[in-house]
Formats: sequence, C-alpha cells, structure tokens
Amino acid sequence: MSAVSRFPVANPMVIFREELDEWAVLFDPDANETFALDPTSVFIWKLLDGKHCKEDILTKLNEACNDTPEDAPQHLDEFLEELAGKSLIGVEK
Amino acid sequence: MKLERTPKSIDLNITTKCNLRCSYCSHFSSAGETDKDLPTEEWLKFFKELKECAVLDVCLSGGEALVRKDIRELIDGIIENRMRFSILSNGILIDDDTASFIKATGRCDSVQVSIDGPGPESHDISRGKGSFEKALSGLRTLIRHEIPATVRVTINKHNYKVLDEVSKLLLEDVGLPSFSTNAASHLGLCRDNADETQLNAEEYAWCVEKLFKLEKKYNGRINAQAGPLASGKHWVEMEKAKAAGLPEIPGRGLLTSCGGVYSKMAVLADGTMVPCSQLPHMNLGRINQDSLADIWLNHPELKRLRDRRDIPLKEFDFCEGCEYIPYCRGGCPALAYTLGGDENIPSPDACYRTFLEAGGKLPKLNN
Ligand SMILES: C[S@@+](CC[C@H](N)C(=O)[O-])C[C@H]1O[C@@H](n2cnc3c(N)ncnc32)[C@H](O)[C@@H]1O
Ligand code: SF4
Ligand code: SF4
Repeated sequence: MSAVSRFPVANPMVIFREELDEWAVLFDPDANETFALDPTSVFIWKLLDGKHCKEDILTKLNEACNDTPEDAPQHLDEFLEELAGKSLIGVEK
Repeated sequence: MKLERTPKSIDLNITTKCNLRCSYCSHFSSAGETDKDLPTEEWLKFFKELKECAVLDVCLSGGEALVRKDIRELIDGIIENRMRFSILSNGILIDDDTASFIKATGRCDSVQVSIDGPGPESHDISRGKGSFEKALSGLRTLIRHEIPATVRVTINKHNYKVLDEVSKLLLEDVGLPSFSTNAASHLGLCRDNADETQLNAEEYAWCVEKLFKLEKKYNGRINAQAGPLASGKHWVEMEKAKAAGLPEIPGRGLLTSCGGVYSKMAVLADGTMVPCSQLPHMNLGRINQDSLADIWLNHPELKRLRDRRDIPLKEFDFCEGCEYIPYCRGGCPALAYTLGGDENIPSPDACYRTFLEAGGKLPKLNN
C-alpha cells in the first residue's frame, strides 16, 4: 500500500526548525513550503534517520509516553504517508 | 510575541561599497559603513552556521550587494546551505546574465529595485545621473526572466509630487503586481542632507492623502511598512479609536511598533552582528567568532530590545498629556535612537501629536 520505505529517512534538503515550545517546522526551500510538526511528530521526525523502521519508532513512542493511543500505528502510517507525499522523507524507489 | 529558538531570517549587508551615493542613503555615514568587506570564505563559513541554526532565508543588501565580484559564489553558498534569499538592489548591475543566474537558483524570493520616480528628473536628483535608465532596465530584465521583482520608492522632497506618475509607470506600464513606499528618514547620510531631502509635515500630509487615493485606485497594490502610507493608516486608526471613545486598542499604549527582534537579525559588511541593519551601532558580536544561537537567546542588548514591548508610553515625558497614548505604538527603535539617542523611547518620526503640532492633517478627517 505504501510508498514509504521500511526505514524512512528525512529528506536532507529539508530544514527542521525546532521552536522553543517543542513544536517544529519543516521547510522545503525548493518548494518554498512549510509543514508544522506537533511535539509527537517532532519525536518521530528525529527517528527518521534510515536506521529505525516503523516498529522501532512505535516502540520508542511507547517508551516515551505512558498512554500511547491504540491507533498509534495507523496515525504513524498516515503521518509518514503525508510526509512522503510532500517529499519530506525518502520513498521506496 | 513568540520568540523563535534561532532567527528565521538574517539581513546580510555583504558589502559596504556602492556604485551610487544617494543623497539620503541610510548606509553611508552610519555605523553600518564599515572599513572593509569580509572575504568570501568568512561568509561561506557563516552560511554553514546559518544552516545549523535552521535559518530559512537571508536578504542580501549593502551598500550594493551586486558590486561584490564573488556574488555568485556567495549565492551558491546560500543555496548549498538550504536557504532561500532575496536581494535589495539599485538595479544598475542587473543584466541578462545576472538575472539568468538568479533565476536558475530557483530559490530567490524577490529582488527589490529602488526606483524613485517616473523618469530621470525625480530619480537621478537623489540617486545620481544616469541611474534611472539603468535601474528601470534592471527591473525590466528581472521581469523578463520571471524573477519575482518588486520596487521601493523612497519618498523625499524631490519626488513626492510625482507619486501619480511613478505609480502609473510601475503598476500600469511595467506591470508590477505591487510596489512599496517609505520616506527618506533620519538615518545615515540623510541626517546631513535632511533639509533638502526629508519631507516636512505639510509635504508628509500631502503624501498621506495622495497615497491613500492611489492605494484605492490600484486596489491595494501600493504598500508600506513605514513612511506616509503606513503612518497615515496608523494615525487614522488612532483617530477612529479616539472618536469612538475606545478605552484602548489592544497591544497599544506600549512601545510595540517593531517585532523584528523576535525573528530576525542582521550582519554588517565587516561581520559585526547587529539586531537590525538600521541599528548598526549595537554590536552584538562577530560572525565565526561568537555563536549566533547564543547571541540570539542570551545577548542582554537583544533582550533589552525585546523588552521594549512592555514599556508603557505614559512613562515618557515626551508623551505627557497625549490623548493618543492608548492607541499608539511608539515607532521604530532605529529612528528613536538617531533622533532621541535611545532605542527604547518613542520615535518622534512616527509621532502623531508631533505631526499635528507641525501643521500636519489627516485627509479623511479634515472636513
Ligand atoms: C540602503 S538601500 C540598499 C540596497 C540598494 N543599494 C538600494 O539602493 O536599493 C535599501 C533601500 O533603503 C532605501 N533607503 C536608503 N536610505 C534611506 C533612508 N534614509 N530612509 C529610508 N529609506 C532609505 C533605499 O532607497 C533602498 O530602497
Ligand atoms: S541607497 Fe543604495 S544605491 Fe543609494 S547609496 Fe545607499 S546603498 Fe547605494
Ligand atoms: S506623544 Fe506621540 S508617540 Fe507619544 S503617545 Fe502621543 S502620538 Fe504616540
């Protein structure tokens, strides 16, 4: 179903700007587009290094917060799809 | 206002040199006119730090940014470090080759060309003989290359009567989507040439009225962050609030005019970091020696400028007895400094009471 690679990796051309309130902004300088990340998404973004698969990311999320919602895997999928759709992460070739 | 973790944008005065010497220039004879320009390598090294700080864009200015022989190398460095850029230029050196280069980067947000009038008479008198034709040609070249081009008209004693004509040239003949205006203000060389250059209250009032009409005629395609159009709008808002008996306008009654220090910083041609290129006397440190991120979050002078927003106007003798205090924002810190010696005071330049006392009137409220 998904174009997202098994070990998703952040597009190195994208600027990741962390704010003081733990939110962040992704900025694609070529497309001149920004994308806001809430604190959970920031946590995930930092794991998109090509070394963590989705399961690893979910495990880390579970470790970091006590009450991860049941539909977290689905949310993660949707989030990664959205990032891939905007070329903010690498996709399976 | 929300403080960013690092500056989002940086204004870079990449050179102190210029191929013109405009009579009102804010750069020359200010602390921004430095002894020397930094070498290419120093800028390229600094761009890497900007990348680490996740800076989104830089604005290249000077002086005249395009007189630098290494301008392409510098722009390549900006691109490599993932930033976008804009340029402020007098237009003289913009030819097809330069425009092709800028276009090919795909990262240029805008190139602003200074055009002060509809022809050489009103432009060259401040900006130098032959400069109008070259500036207009530079502007047309940018447009031909589909680069987002814009114009700044700096209103002064020699061009304020031709605002109709310059608007027609830029918006109808050249076909720009919009242009911006400011007035030659009390900075740099302009301080020495104030009498021949700066508008008096009557001329300023004339411009407010004219610009209101032109803005309407051209459906908002004329804009301003300072000068007669911007001040005129604030002053009308203040008059309306007072007439309606409003106790206050939220966020007013304090020195809240400038939010720049929450998201931007600037660097002078010699590498001195400053809060804004119009505050070149405020040395915060040096690039490639001091950490940008550290200065941004911890420098006491930046903190002092940010705290400006909490200073009530009623504390100043200058504002004593003024009926407009609850509606006023106090004006630009750079002009407050050059006119009053301190950044954290109200600026006489933007003071509505001073304008009225000097015989100024607002158009819509005259009758
Ligand atoms: C300082 S110049 C630098 C870029 C370029 N050399 C140019 O002239 O466009 C940037 C803009 O500031 C305007 N400017 C210069 N001195 C000024 C002053 N004293 N008050 C207001 N604007 C000023 C110029 O007309 C120009 O549009
Ligand atoms: S306003 Fe621009 S073009 Fe004119 S002297 Fe100053 S830096 Fe040069
Ligand atoms: S005196 Fe001027 S700066 Fe002070 S509140 Fe009145 S209008 Fe504003």
